[in-house]
Amino acid sequence: MSSFYKRFFVLTALILNVGGFAHSAPLPFKTTVTDIAGKTLRLPQPAHKATVLVFLAHDCPISNAYAPEITRIATDYAKHGVSVVLAYAESDFDAAGARKHARAYGYKMPAVLDDKYKLSHTVGATVTPEAVVYSPTGTLLYRGRIDNRFANYGKKRAQPSQRDLRAALDAIVAGRPVPTPTTTAVGCFIPEKAN
Amino acid sequence: MGAFISCVAASCAGQLPQPGFTEVAYTTAADPVKAEPAKAEPMGAEKVVTYNKDIAPIIYQNCSSCHRAGEVAPFTLLSYADAKKRAKQIALVTENRVMPPWKADEGAEKFADAHLLSMDEIARIRQWAATGAPEGNKADLPPAPKFAQGWQNGEPDAVFQPTEAYNLAAEGDDVYRCYVIPTDYTQDRYVSAMEVRPGNRAVVHHVIAYLDTSGKAREKDAADPGPGYTSFGGIGVTPAGSLGGWAPGLVPRLAAAGEGILLPKGSDIVLQVHYHKSGKPETDLTKIGVYFTKGAVDKRIRSMMVLNPLLRIPAGDANYTTSAQRTVRDDITVLSVTPHMHLLGKDMEVSAKLPDGDEKKLVHINDWDFNWQMIYGLKKPMKLPAGSQVNLTARYDNSTDNVLNPTNPPRTVTWGEQTTDEMCIAFLFYTVDSEHLTKGETAVKENGGIGGGALAGVSPALRQMAVRLFDKDGDGKLNEEERQAALDWWRKNGTPAAPNN
Repeated sequence: MSSFYKRFFVLTALILNVGGFAHSAPLPFKTTVTDIAGKTLRLPQPAHKATVLVFLAHDCPISNAYAPEITRIATDYAKHGVSVVLAYAESDFDAAGARKHARAYGYKMPAVLDDKYKLSHTVGATVTPEAVVYSPTGTLLYRGRIDNRFANYGKKRAQPSQRDLRAALDAIVAGRPVPTPTTTAVGCFIPEKAN
Repeated sequence: MGAFISCVAASCAGQLPQPGFTEVAYTTAADPVKAEPAKAEPMGAEKVVTYNKDIAPIIYQNCSSCHRAGEVAPFTLLSYADAKKRAKQIALVTENRVMPPWKADEGAEKFADAHLLSMDEIARIRQWAATGAPEGNKADLPPAPKFAQGWQNGEPDAVFQPTEAYNLAAEGDDVYRCYVIPTDYTQDRYVSAMEVRPGNRAVVHHVIAYLDTSGKAREKDAADPGPGYTSFGGIGVTPAGSLGGWAPGLVPRLAAAGEGILLPKGSDIVLQVHYHKSGKPETDLTKIGVYFTKGAVDKRIRSMMVLNPLLRIPAGDANYTTSAQRTVRDDITVLSVTPHMHLLGKDMEVSAKLPDGDEKKLVHINDWDFNWQMIYGLKKPMKLPAGSQVNLTARYDNSTDNVLNPTNPPRTVTWGEQTTDEMCIAFLFYTVDSEHLTKGETAVKENGGIGGGALAGVSPALRQMAVRLFDKDGDGKLNEEERQAALDWWRKNGTPAAPNN
């Protein structure tokens, strides 16, 4: 292939790769799952303006530390039609353990168990905590950290200086493009394969 | 370590027994025999790195003591399944040296409780994770490490705990809570070791046991609702000493025979617990066990500080360097060294220059982390003859690039107890070679406990300058009031042409 064509192909790929997500989520994301309470849940939630999947692990101290902020975000944006759904990305865990953990940390929103990491891998979540936001039709709108409180492991800012998930949701609610649609989350890795 | 510091800031010279006022339980006389880490084989491209053969020995040796049920780490690392699930995480945190939390550049050859991975060990973990974290041959798996349950030195002679549990909120700033526990002993006693048993390891980050004989800690407790009182750096009163502390990974050890820490009669133990918040409401009731010395005590375990209370870190300076010196007056034996800075600290090197010109390195922290306030216990105590000079060099980052900088935009930072202030101290715990309490021979020379007050750790030239400027009563030395005035002036105005700053 001549270098001209190589360049042409690269260019085409870039154009088609709208928002940078086409390689990981080429089709609209749509699935039906059973949550830890035994209820059937459609993802993304069709009647909501946006669905936020928050990936967590019960023994990840970083995702646990975010519990109050996750609850605040769920409350603050519920009135704007945003739904928050938790996803426990853990292979050695069960629904009873997830219910117990959710109760202890005061989570009131629906939660699903992602014990085969199928959901994580489908939506491209790689660590806990990580937020992935979809439109009701399954278009990926944001994926990444909740905020930048953790600069690295053990490097915690006194206050976050960027609240990326809130910024994304503010834009979505206002009908604007998400300013930074991908960020890098700091936390505990979600395994690439189930045990 | 804040209380020693509060003493410095409060210029409490003269209120304390001489020499030395602070002792620590972490001595180094008896280090339990640890299995030698597996010797690294040269890594050929064809070599398969497996959990059983290569990784388990590293994890057992360096991770499992905290990563097991009931201990401080958030998950266990005892089995293949534990490690495989987190292979990528383990590879990353060992590569970055975030884990194991060991900040000195020397390891087990020098220090007790060292957890310093070699480059080869890190490379093996990286290769193992990158090749799918294989388990390998069962026969290669070494026996699982055995850990003592409960008290590590057996049943203590006395156990102290607050009268009620403390309730911690789900989130917010870290909390430093001080619990005042009376001892009610009518005679002085000597302590060989103290062991901390954190009540709730999800939130207890580190613990220091101070001693108060003034009754002022009780007053603070009474004035603060709930169990104990809150105080960030020190305990807010001048302590009469310390029984030592605990941070994850440190193992309590009995002092060498004939050595002990003075627990003055009638002391209150002030247990300062540093809490991280976990994301949900938590409750904690931490207790300590005390082991008294058996038999006659010949030497007190004492402390000295090498410090620069005159540091002044300009706003935006990413590489502020400062130093401190102190001359040892007696032949002493150093047991441990404990560097202390706050959130702007980058690195610290502590070494000693002997009268014969020989240099001895005590400790070098090249990646200071406020979260890991370790006591670096020397496996082989270091002899320093009288006249040796202990030198400290420390660097700080007060720019916005330091994500831990608590002040944004940065401001000039000076000495103080708050998280937004800084400190520059190395605590050395030592015994005096000539001291023989059993023969009635007590060490009397001042080796730098707190005898020189707030200016004790600074260079002679700077001290002379302080005397020249602030000796109001003309007696050729600074009393407590004059010292405080000097300290206040310097903190406000910086150090003019300071040879030490």
